[in-house]
Parts: sequence; structure tokens; C-alpha cells
Amino acid sequence: MRVWRVVVLLTLALAVGVGWGYVWWGRQVTRLTGELAEARAAAAGPRDYRAEGVVRAVLPEMNIVVITHAEITGYMPAMTMGFRATSPKIYETVDVGDAVRFTLRGTPPNLALVALEKITTR
Amino acid sequence: MAGHSDRPTALGWQTRVGRLACALVVVALTSGAVALAQQTASLEQRPGAALEPAALARVALETQAGMVWTLRLSLLVLLGAFLVMRVDLTSRVDWRAARGYALVLAGAALALLAAAGHAAAVEPETALAIAVDIVHLLGAALWAGGLPALALLLAAASRETGADARPYAVVATRRFSRTAVLLVAALALSGAVMTLSQVGSIPALIGTRYGRLLLLKLALVVAIVALAALNRRLLPALSGDAVAVGRPAMRRLRLFVGVEAALALTVLVVVAVMGVTPPARHEQPVWPLDFRLAWATVADSPQAPFVLVGSQVAVLGVVALIASRLLFRARRPAVLAGGGVLVLAGLAMALPPLVTDAYPTTYRRPAVPYHAGSIAAGAHAYRDHCAACHGPSGAGNGPAGAALDPPPSDLRAHHAALHTAGDLFWWITHGRRQMPAFRGRLDAEQRWDLVNFIRALSAVDAARVLTPVVQPERPLVVAPDFVFAVGPTPPRALKDFRGRRSVLVVLYTLPNSRPRLTALAAAYETLAPLGVEIVAVPFDGGPDAIKRLGAEPRILFPVVTDGAAEIVATYGMFARGPHAEFLVDRQGYLRTIDTGGVDAATLAANAEALNRERVVATPPAEHVH
Repeated sequence: MRVWRVVVLLTLALAVGVGWGYVWWGRQVTRLTGELAEARAAAAGPRDYRAEGVVRAVLPEMNIVVITHAEITGYMPAMTMGFRATSPKIYETVDVGDAVRFTLRGTPPNLALVALEKITTR
Repeated sequence: MAGHSDRPTALGWQTRVGRLACALVVVALTSGAVALAQQTASLEQRPGAALEPAALARVALETQAGMVWTLRLSLLVLLGAFLVMRVDLTSRVDWRAARGYALVLAGAALALLAAAGHAAAVEPETALAIAVDIVHLLGAALWAGGLPALALLLAAASRETGADARPYAVVATRRFSRTAVLLVAALALSGAVMTLSQVGSIPALIGTRYGRLLLLKLALVVAIVALAALNRRLLPALSGDAVAVGRPAMRRLRLFVGVEAALALTVLVVVAVMGVTPPARHEQPVWPLDFRLAWATVADSPQAPFVLVGSQVAVLGVVALIASRLLFRARRPAVLAGGGVLVLAGLAMALPPLVTDAYPTTYRRPAVPYHAGSIAAGAHAYRDHCAACHGPSGAGNGPAGAALDPPPSDLRAHHAALHTAGDLFWWITHGRRQMPAFRGRLDAEQRWDLVNFIRALSAVDAARVLTPVVQPERPLVVAPDFVFAVGPTPPRALKDFRGRRSVLVVLYTLPNSRPRLTALAAAYETLAPLGVEIVAVPFDGGPDAIKRLGAEPRILFPVVTDGAAEIVATYGMFARGPHAEFLVDRQGYLRTIDTGGVDAATLAANAEALNRERVVATPPAEHVH
């Protein structure tokens, strides 16, 4: 066989090999992405989120407690924001400036404050 | 590059080069495999892993560098197989196909090297860095790889028996010479780009191992280019009737090309060492000279005009030199000499005033960042060790220093701006004039704390021009970074807001600041959407700071309960009253200082002024005086 034909064949083989590998890789990624999305969907639904923070304001007229909190894993980063309480009893025992551990329950973004307990500051 | 030929000597040479290439592929394969094994051992952190198939497979298939090596080695295997194949190359098409394909395979294998080297670690613009590296690698390979082959051909042709290949050798030399000019240009350009990203500054070039290796490499390359320029002069002697070409000229050419090839191989050795040396940018430069040139030395002195005039004279000289080369084909010795004299005179005028003392640590980056914690610690060390002579405020008027001649330095007046942090570190470490060395009394961290405190003193002096209103596009003073926590939340740093929000740092005392805090609580609703965060720091801070503010008014911005002492110690230096407000812009510069007297409308106007600004300065992390 002439050398140039060998070269053309080799190049074709390389191109087909690389192309096949690329397509295979793409399929693999699609499959994994799909599985990840399914797993995420399965994990959704009402659940509890816990975090620590400090009470900044209590607004009994709106049934809201404003808390500067650390990251709420799986829900939101650290920030200051108001949470609707399920009952006024929850915030009866806390004052502005108290360090607290709190629990939110529900499916994001519909979460409600279900528990609030004081922790001793460092 | 030499092309197809049917002369026996030329064919013999092609076979030899082909065999050499095969041997080199084997060497590359072996060394590549060894490098992979060594990488495995260092990644797994045990020497035994280098021989375990499982560990090798993991590194080869799961790390980026490993993938690149795997691809590269398989390309090399292909190339080797292709070169070993005994094929009939008498037809021109076949010859081109075979050589061209070998070139493509070798080029691809080489280009992959860029994806596993220093260039792949450049951020941002990784792709650009890799592309430039590929250009450099291919250029160097064609040049340095072509030289030995050309030397072999010239050697064969200059023998008595090789006369039949002489025309072929002359053609090859011509083509190589023409290509080499382009290659050297490409190499110089790509090399300059890579130097900018891997070295970046003159101290890094002459003060680090990587930089010095680069200088050595450059010296070798200049030698090669000089030899090559000589060779180009020889080329015309080779023209004319091909077989009658003189052997002496060819011998001389062979010698020169051989020396060039040897130098090129030395360059490759240097490059190999550079490949395993950390790039200069990541090293602490050690300045080898006892002086440096700095514009700050003359910026405000009467000598500044001399420097400017001198530099212009030198530029004029350079222009004259270039013009004498380019414009006049015939040499004009007068213009040449005049240009040289102008350059020398200009430099003699401009450089001496710029000279200032320098020390090995001059260009060291501070080991401790410019941070409130460090400045507070430095202030403490200053009171204990420095205030006796330099005075409590750094004015150089301490009681123990009164008798000294010359008097102790005034540390406030732009002191840190004229000297690098590394200069200050050297003086504190080794002493200066009557000042004792503190190497034995303070550890390195404490000495860097002192450097940071002196930089803060100087910053306080520079900050006197700041008003309660933002002066657009004038970031002058770097705001010291600090860390704070609100209640049980994890600590945050001022630096975390960089590039995202400006920060109004409020130092307050109770009960005097209460009306102002009430006003700020109301203003926060306007300021937050304008991109301003407020961080309130109690002068007498403690874990109960939020509790002491009470439930009314509702204050929703962060109030520091942890870390206030260091912030107060540092920002207190800048404060002009018992209540102080500092606006820090998105790049981390201090832009306003106020005692809490401005109204909400001015605060909003300040925020809008900052929002209107383009990014006018690099963030202070890169901003080391």
C-alpha cells in the first residue's frame, strides 16, 4: 500500500476514535446529570433546617422574628432575615441580642420557624 | 524541511536523522513513563506507589496532568511505530505524507506538554497562556531540533565523499535560515508574554532562582542568535554553482551550526530545570544589589526635572540609534556615535537621582497581611520597644531620642510610601544608624506587625485629606482588613465584601451615639439597596453588644460582638472623635472619614458616587509599596 494511503487511514481511525470517545463521554455526563436531578427531586419535600444565629428584632404584630444567622445548609447563605413563626409561643422567651439555635420546617421557599432555643454565648 | 532528494549522501542523512528520531521517541517514552511514576509517588506520598498499577492508573486517568501524559505517551507510541515502519519513500507524495504525518504527531505530542506545565496553572486566561506556551514549544522544537540535524547534514556534505549532497545542503541551510528568523521572532514574542505572567517584575527576575535561570537562558539564546547572524553572512559564499561550492565555507558553517546546536541543547537543560522550579511570581525575591531606582525618591524634590529631561535625552538617543539602522542603508558612523552619546548622557543625567538604598528584603511581600489584628499587635510592640525614641505618635520626638544625632525618624510623614515594607522590615531586623537590631528581641511575625503598624501610621497621615464626602476617583488610603463576628455566626472579613459592596464602618459609644444609630437604622433601608453594608463596632465591645443596644430602634445591620477590640485599636487611629464613620469602597480603599455629622442624603450621595466609579485601582492585596 502507498504510504499516503496509510496516513489517511490512520488519521481517519484517530478521528473516529476521538469522536467516539467524545460522544461516549457526553452520554456519560448526560446520564450522571439526570441521575443527580432525580436524586435531588427525591430529596425535596418537607424537611427540617437547623442553624444558629442571633435575634435582632421581634415583630409580634407580624408574627416574625428577625435573625442574623449562619449558613442554613441546603437552603441559604448567612444573612439577616425575618422568619414567620408558627406560633407566638416560640419567641416568648427570647430577647433581642440572644444567641439562638432555631429550626425551620417546610419545603423551600415556604418555611416556618417551629423552634427557637437560647444558647449560651461564647 | 530540506525536501525530497535522490542523492545517496542525502538519503543516508535522512535515514540517520530518522533513526535518531526513533531513539529520541524511545527516550521520550521512557522518561515520560518515569515522570508519570514519579508524579504518582509524590501524589500518593509514598515511593512504593510508583510501581503499583492501580495507583498509576488512578493518576493517569483521573488527574488533568495524568490525562495529558497518557494522551501524549500514546501519541508518542504512534509516532514511534510510524517512524520504525520500513516504507518505500521514492515517490514524492509518499515522502511528503510520511514526513508530514510524523511532524503532525510530534507537534501534537509536544503541544500537549503545555497543558501540563506552568502555563496550565495561570489564572485567569488559562487558554491564552496555554496557546502562547504551545507556540513557544513548537517554535523551540523546530529551531533547536532542526539545528543538530542541519549540523549532521553539513558534516556529511563537507566530507570529500559527500560532494553530491552539497546543493541539497545549501538549499536546506537557506530554508532553515529563513524559517529560523520567523521562529526566533515567534519565540521572542511568546517568551516575553510568558515572562510577564510567570515572572512579572524586575525584582522577581533578578531576585529569584527561576528569574536567574531565565536570564541564563536568555544569555545562551543571545549567543545562538549572534552566531546565527554570522552564519547568514556566510550564506552568500555558498551560492553559485552547486557542486563547486567551497568546502572551507561549508566546514566553517558546519562548525558554527554545531556550536549553535550544542548551545541549544544547553538551553533545553536550563529549561528542564526551570520546569521544576517554582515560577518567580510565587517566590519571595531576594534583592541582590544594595541600591534600587525609585521614582518616589525624587517625586517631590527639585531634582525631578533633571530626571525627566535626562530620560527624554536618552529616548532621543535610542530613536537616533534605531534611525541609523533603519533609515540609512549605508552606515552613518556619526549618527550612530551621536545616538550612543545621547543615550549615555541621558542615562547619566536621569539615573543617579533615582538611586536609593535597597536591601535583600526590599521586595519581599509582607509575611503578615495588612490586617487590624497585626496592626494592633504592632501598636503594642511599638509602645514597648519603639516609643521611647520615636515618640508615642511616631513623630520622632521620644524622650530617649532627644539626644540622638541625627534624630530618630518621623514615622508619620509618608514614611511607608517612600520605603517598601521590605525596607522597614530590614531596618527593624538589622538596625540602622543608632537604631539597634531587633532580630533577637522580636520574632519575625512581631517585626512584620511593627511594619504594618508603621504603614498604618503613614496611612493615618495620608488620610488627613479625607472628608465626609466621597472625592470621586481618588482612592489613596488602603483600609486595613479586619475580621468580625455577629453572635454565634461564623467570622467574616472586611475583604469578603470586596468587589461586591462598599462598607460603612461605624465606631460608636453608648449612650452618646444612640441618636446617630437610630438615624443609621432608618438610613439602612436606603443604603442597603445602594450596595452599602453597615458594620457597627462598639468602642467598648463585648459579647452583649446587641443586647445593650436594646430592642428599639430596630437595628438590622451587623453589630460586632467578637473582634471589636482590634478594629477599635486600628480604626481608632484614624478616628476624629468618640463616634467615627469610615466608608470603604468595593476595592478596599478608605474613602471618607466622618464623626457622624452628615445626613442620610449625603450618605446616599456617597454611595451613588462610589457606584458611578469605574474600577480605578487594583485591590490593595496586589498593592504593596
